[in-house]
Amino acid sequence: MAAQGGRALLALCGALVACGWLLGAGAQEPGAPAAGMRRRRRLQQEDGISFEYHRYPELREALVSVWLQCTAISRIYTVGRSFEGRELLVIELSDNPGVHEPGEPEFKYIGNMHGNEAVGRELLIFLAQYLCNEYQKGNETIVKLIHSTRIHIMPSLNPDGFEKAASQPGELKDWFVGRSNAQGIDLNRNFPDLDRIVYVNEKEGGPNNHLLKNLKKIVDQNTKLAPETKAIIHWIMDIPFVLSANLHGGDLVANYPYDETRTGSAHEYSSCPDDAIFQSLARAYSSFNPPMSDPKRPPCRKNDDDSSFIDGTTNGAAWYSVPGGMQDFNYLSSNCFEITVELSCEKFPPEETLKSYWEDNKNSLISYLEQIHRGVKGFVRDLQGNPIANATISVEGIDHDVTSAKDGDYWRLLVPGNYKLTASAPGYLAITKKVAVPYSPAVGVDFELESFSERKEEEKEELMEWWKMMSETLNF
Amino acid sequence: MGFLWTGTWILVLVLQSSPIQAFPKPGGSQEKPLHNRELSAERPLNEQIAEAEADKIKKTYPPENKPGESNYSFVDNLNLLKAITEKEKTEKEKQSIRSSPYDNKLNVEDADSTKNRRLIDDYDSTKSGLNHKFQDDPDGLHQLDGTPLTAEDIVQKIATRIYEENDRGVFDKIVSKLLNLGLITESQAHTLEDEVAEVLQKLISKEANTYEEEPNKPTSVTESQAGKIPEKVTPMATIQDGFTNGQNDETVSNTLTLTNGLERRTKIYNEDNFEELQYFPNFYALLKSIDSEKEAKEKETLITIMKTLIDFVKMMVKYGTISPEEGVSYLENLDETIALQTKNKLEKNVTDNKSKLFPAPSEKSHEETDSTKEEAAKMEKEYGTLKDSTKDDNPRGKTDEPKGKTEAYLEAIRKNIEWLKKHNKKGNKEDYDLSKMRDFINQQADAYVEKGILDEEEADAIKRIYSSL
Repeated sequence: MAAQGGRALLALCGALVACGWLLGAGAQEPGAPAAGMRRRRRLQQEDGISFEYHRYPELREALVSVWLQCTAISRIYTVGRSFEGRELLVIELSDNPGVHEPGEPEFKYIGNMHGNEAVGRELLIFLAQYLCNEYQKGNETIVKLIHSTRIHIMPSLNPDGFEKAASQPGELKDWFVGRSNAQGIDLNRNFPDLDRIVYVNEKEGGPNNHLLKNLKKIVDQNTKLAPETKAIIHWIMDIPFVLSANLHGGDLVANYPYDETRTGSAHEYSSCPDDAIFQSLARAYSSFNPPMSDPKRPPCRKNDDDSSFIDGTTNGAAWYSVPGGMQDFNYLSSNCFEITVELSCEKFPPEETLKSYWEDNKNSLISYLEQIHRGVKGFVRDLQGNPIANATISVEGIDHDVTSAKDGDYWRLLVPGNYKLTASAPGYLAITKKVAVPYSPAVGVDFELESFSERKEEEKEELMEWWKMMSETLNF
Repeated sequence: MGFLWTGTWILVLVLQSSPIQAFPKPGGSQEKPLHNRELSAERPLNEQIAEAEADKIKKTYPPENKPGESNYSFVDNLNLLKAITEKEKTEKEKQSIRSSPYDNKLNVEDADSTKNRRLIDDYDSTKSGLNHKFQDDPDGLHQLDGTPLTAEDIVQKIATRIYEENDRGVFDKIVSKLLNLGLITESQAHTLEDEVAEVLQKLISKEANTYEEEPNKPTSVTESQAGKIPEKVTPMATIQDGFTNGQNDETVSNTLTLTNGLERRTKIYNEDNFEELQYFPNFYALLKSIDSEKEAKEKETLITIMKTLIDFVKMMVKYGTISPEEGVSYLENLDETIALQTKNKLEKNVTDNKSKLFPAPSEKSHEETDSTKEEAAKMEKEYGTLKDSTKDDNPRGKTDEPKGKTEAYLEAIRKNIEWLKKHNKKGNKEDYDLSKMRDFINQQADAYVEKGILDEEEADAIKRIYSSL
């Protein structure tokens, strides 16, 4: 009814006046009707997502807005500061933010590690807003994801580099300006080179996972590590991440371990023990991104060698050798499986293209998130039901073990097949179980380990029983 | 054992027979609500006349309609509208029974109503004193010079009253009472509403125009309005004819959609008001670009929104909340906004066609249905900017930002509260606890300030917003 419309308008007017008064303190402005850059921003919105570049203040503001809109499922925190003092902000989305629920796998997205590779940064901001919106709309997929996963989103690992890149005038950005951090360090070459160590271990014997254990102290004392790198390493050590992706730009492919060639040559397919699942994971991203998975797509630049690209995926070393990268560091120092996704031929494309990058990657981002619920998962406990942390879970035929987290929970990503899983821990007797793994969801397998002392006690008792029986029979 | 068998058999028989018993079915025949009685010529004349007489008896005419007096009783308004419907009814009756032998009865009617003459005299505010001519006008439905008041004039009167009282609820009350008494049909009520709304709008814009300083706009706006009026007469005339033809309901329902009052008003405006909207070239272009067949609803919604916004601004100017310059600049901004939105909409259409991989129908329909919400939110933001222009002039760019940011935060908080309320309702939990939320937010905000995630200012703003809820 028109009358209600009129009343609603009056009410709205009243509310606005109230708000205007409230917000009036310190926020005077001439109400310039001229379309300035900032006002234009409000207008390119779609469901609260503004498709434009966010500098550091806007990045913070965007994450705060998501938090304010979805306080029940989100939390903002920082893993440390960049060289120039900007917070390395992370927004966490889960049904119980701030808390690791036993059995709930942890996921992370990291973007903009190279400051001038800007698309990843923006996509992650859009993703955070999108997840919040969709959750509130009751989108089943998203609700399920948020209830069953703890999702950490770090839009920018190199905010200093981004500011440098973004400050360049004009639309054409240099290939290198803003890539490294404020100290000039390329963060994706700055991680301890665990590949080298594992290659040696392969030859001479030695562990194939968690190679950082002995080096943790050295990391803290290492002056060559950038503050951003150190922050990430601590983050990886603190939270039992299971799956991760590292967003870059400059090409269009999903890249998986190993990044460094075994022999030291420039290109050489260097598979890791989990090559099968990594191919599947990379494909789970690329197949939902039309240009990425388009077999007929010409390379980004005329003379580029993309011969190693298959279905929009590539082994890192087959493409080109990268030592000291974050992706392999994750795999070799922790339980986390990480891939590197190159999102755009152009590292810092014009703002108007951001929306279409979102459309291209939206489904991939969600699909990749869902991959975390694959393979086998469960708890490792002792006979009394207490969790056993740091137990080793090994898979027969795959030379890479994972470990259980503080609550005894573990997650082992596997492609479909039949496997034998063994759980073991120091002082405990190992147990092996057979498992048939489908594509998804993850199969639950729990282990109750018997400690050595318990077994000794058992054996002693058995012995005593036998002795008793013997003595009775023989009348000792 | 035998007992058991007999028992079972009895039970079986009973069970079998019960379906045979017919359960009382819900009343198939729906009683037509009283107010939908059609005033068609088919109804027995006696009934109609008897009704008319009964109404006349019920009437108690109001005291003089003094200008400036704002406390009209509800009954006054009721009677006014009764008078209107009476007039329409009698006109129709006259047509259909012109040659009928019941003329006498009609005369008797007139004669009866002259008894109430004294009260009727005071009805018309335009007259200064008793006028003999009014002796012949029992209903008070004649102007000073004796020419019968057209429906137009009556509508004008209602509108003026509503305008002066500044309460559209007046109209609602009248209409609902009339409907309940079965004096008018729903469609007639709707038509009436539309007409009154039109006139009201003219009144408002007329007032607003007297304040506007910009030379071009007021004159051109009034010109276009003047241009509208002759056009308006035609539809009204046709409607009147429709009534007299006794096919009122059908014609009316054909020309008007009965779903939403606003929408219907919009539809009538469709062709007529494009002139006024010419002053919003981008909006006009946008409207034109929308395919009328496919996206009629969207077009209607857009027009409605636009009209609503314009009305809103005019009202604000009228009440002096904003100055006319601000009103004008706001409307200019709006047009600019629309230009940009249009551009983005076109872009979106292009990109939408690309991605069909991951169907998310809920997202898309949500966008469409929420276009009004978006517009409202946009308006909110625009208005927020406008409101502060009355304060001191500060350097532009910097202060523009915090305003945009707080608006974004406000919007986010609003969405959060909305969701929490809905969520709690669904779960049948206790009513969502605002004070707990407030505490939690305060705590978090402080923690965030410590960690460098929020600055003090922002945290304060957020806390303030929550405390004001």
